[in-house]
Amino acid sequence: MMKIDLQKEFNDYTQNLNKASKDQHINTAITRAVKAYRSTVAESLERFPHTPEMAAEVREIKTQAMANNSELLAQAMASVERNKGKAFYARDRQQALEIAAGIIGTGKTVVKGKSMLGEELHLREYLEEKGNEVWETDLGEFILQLKKDRPMHILSPAIHVPREQVAEIFSKFFNKDVPPEIAEEVGVVREFLREKYFSAHVGISGANVVAADTGAMVIIENEGNVRLASGAPPVHIVMVGIEKIVPTFQEAMKTAEVTWRYAQYGVPGYVNIVSGPSKTGDIEKVTTYGAHGPKEFYVIFVDNGRSEMAKDEKFSQALHCLRCGGCMYECPVFQVTAGHFGHTYLSGIGAVWTAFVSGGLEKAAPLVYTCLRCGRCMERCPMQINVPAMIGELRNRIVNGAAQGEEPLPQVAHS
Amino acid sequence: MAVEMKLPPVLEIIRGNIVKHGNPLALKGSEISSWAKALNLPARGEMLFYTGGEYQLLPFIDSLVKTMTYVDQGSKGFSLMMGARNLLNKAGISAEKMYASVLAKDKDRYNAVSYKAAVILQKLGYDLCYGGEQELYSGALLYELGYWQDLQEYAPRVANVIKQSGAKTIVCLSPHAAEVFKFIYPKILGDFKYEVKTFVELVWEQRHKLPAASFNKPVVIHDSCRLARELNIEQELRDILSSVGAEIREPECKGKWTTCCGGPSKLLFPEVSHTIAGRRVAELEQTEAEVILTACPYCLSALEGAQEKGSQTGIEDLIEFLYRGVK
Ligand code: SF4
Repeated sequence: MMKIDLQKEFNDYTQNLNKASKDQHINTAITRAVKAYRSTVAESLERFPHTPEMAAEVREIKTQAMANNSELLAQAMASVERNKGKAFYARDRQQALEIAAGIIGTGKTVVKGKSMLGEELHLREYLEEKGNEVWETDLGEFILQLKKDRPMHILSPAIHVPREQVAEIFSKFFNKDVPPEIAEEVGVVREFLREKYFSAHVGISGANVVAADTGAMVIIENEGNVRLASGAPPVHIVMVGIEKIVPTFQEAMKTAEVTWRYAQYGVPGYVNIVSGPSKTGDIEKVTTYGAHGPKEFYVIFVDNGRSEMAKDEKFSQALHCLRCGGCMYECPVFQVTAGHFGHTYLSGIGAVWTAFVSGGLEKAAPLVYTCLRCGRCMERCPMQINVPAMIGELRNRIVNGAAQGEEPLPQVAHS
Repeated sequence: MAVEMKLPPVLEIIRGNIVKHGNPLALKGSEISSWAKALNLPARGEMLFYTGGEYQLLPFIDSLVKTMTYVDQGSKGFSLMMGARNLLNKAGISAEKMYASVLAKDKDRYNAVSYKAAVILQKLGYDLCYGGEQELYSGALLYELGYWQDLQEYAPRVANVIKQSGAKTIVCLSPHAAEVFKFIYPKILGDFKYEVKTFVELVWEQRHKLPAASFNKPVVIHDSCRLARELNIEQELRDILSSVGAEIREPECKGKWTTCCGGPSKLLFPEVSHTIAGRRVAELEQTEAEVILTACPYCLSALEGAQEKGSQTGIEDLIEFLYRGVK
């Protein structure tokens, strides 16, 4: 039997966690963010009172969709091809990266939208190694790219960096004095990236939802960076987890609405729906690709542990996660440590995801034991994902080994 | 592939103590049951009063954490758990030594919680029996920490002691014990057919008999996660307090939205746990209530441990609060 001593893993992690819990930046930023999150969500739930009911509908949509995931995947891939895009299935991280690199090649400029999957795959780093220039276009991710840091929240990745620090980072990078004023900071990035969008060879984005029937990629955003990154370059690549597929366009819209409502968008600035390359038939009704937008459109559906997770009945529900981030704001540990309670994926649900798609049980173990199993995330979660029960089961597997076929203990309520 | 992961030793200490000594901190049965001497509760009866030793062990938890910090003064956090391993390997777990520093007044206070709970229930007309030195800890932490195979072997021992009481109902002081008895034991053991109740529920059923509180300043309830979210007990606490005429203040996060006290991570991540508890205390103190009330031993311990020195707000268990009126 292989033995893994987790002492060091725990030790480093704990010191990091302790440090974070005393970090004034994190404290101020998260306190502010939690307050804002709660009031925005409360307000928009009041304004759109149908939301909880719609969330229940989406839970059902997701349950069915995960049960039929392989059929939906085949259908979604066929739809993309029919729309004159190219669809790929990547079994694991390596395959996903190789497919992307195969399309992109080397010596290219790439503009990229925010994507947790990108973080999971270490996409930017890989493409850079292959000799490409890659720019994060989401403002928060851009800051972290310069800071060489990792996201501390899935939606507000640079939640822990105050404006003064941003000014410092920007002044150094742009080699000019950038004052600690948010509007100015936003302004310099806008100016810098604008040029990149139009000189880039490739734009990469994720997707929040995929409709299998139409091959529509639904991408929710506020900044407008995805619009530009997916519209200006001649090539658009979507990299998306297979769990994001739902059967129909209408269901995709419901899923998107629930996502943005709990993700504190209120009403999002933009909802991009991309189903294929740009085309025109304006001259003699001859369809020609690459009118104003990309001439080439690729979708890489990434598995990387997701279908394993789907097969495990104790964990398949975790694939319903919309990545709205609501649970993180409500997590008492996250509130004092931000993304330090995480490993790519954050907080309790992140511990579950880490175990399956991003590092395995070994990397997940410290996170699994950090969770308080207090259950407040579940109160917030529009998908009512039973994280405390999953954490219990993961602990059992850490202690007793993931013995297959053995009848494990039942879960406590939380259901 | 079978992989064995080696976890921090503190978890092993807790597990070993439960399995070997029937108690997470290896306390003696005589110590745990000493509160009951004056009451002469019978060993058999319809309704079993179950402490699980949980309130009694509270003052020792901090001592365990402190001892480990002392063993390895270098950096806090996980290397302090390495210290615990030395403690375990070289000298065995010397409970006596480790716990020598616990103050008598703390021991007395937490021992008295079980006593007060029993007296309150008796005054409300309940006939109680008690396992005394034989009583075993429920094993909730085995469940909580993932030692499910150990729990499968341990639970029958606990069930056997309970069976000897001949009781039909188990009254739990700790929501954690109630949780495992209610949801887990019946699944592990075919014949664990008891009515499992919390102290809070029993008081609630007879709340009309409670005398008025001798305390007329505002109180605030800290809902315990287990009680509110697993056992669905939140309104009962408010009803009980209203019926004794207490003025109740409510914090922003309450009931199902309550904020965890941080207690569950006290053993592995004492610093983070402390920070979380401190924030919860602050949330509760914002109500400007005079006393914070809770109905869970670990919440009580975590909140008290994190309160700023010099704070005027009291922190009590519901049991202690009600006893003032009853005695
Ligand atoms: S677990 Fe639930 S609350 Fe958390 S990000 Fe996913 S959908 Fe949102």
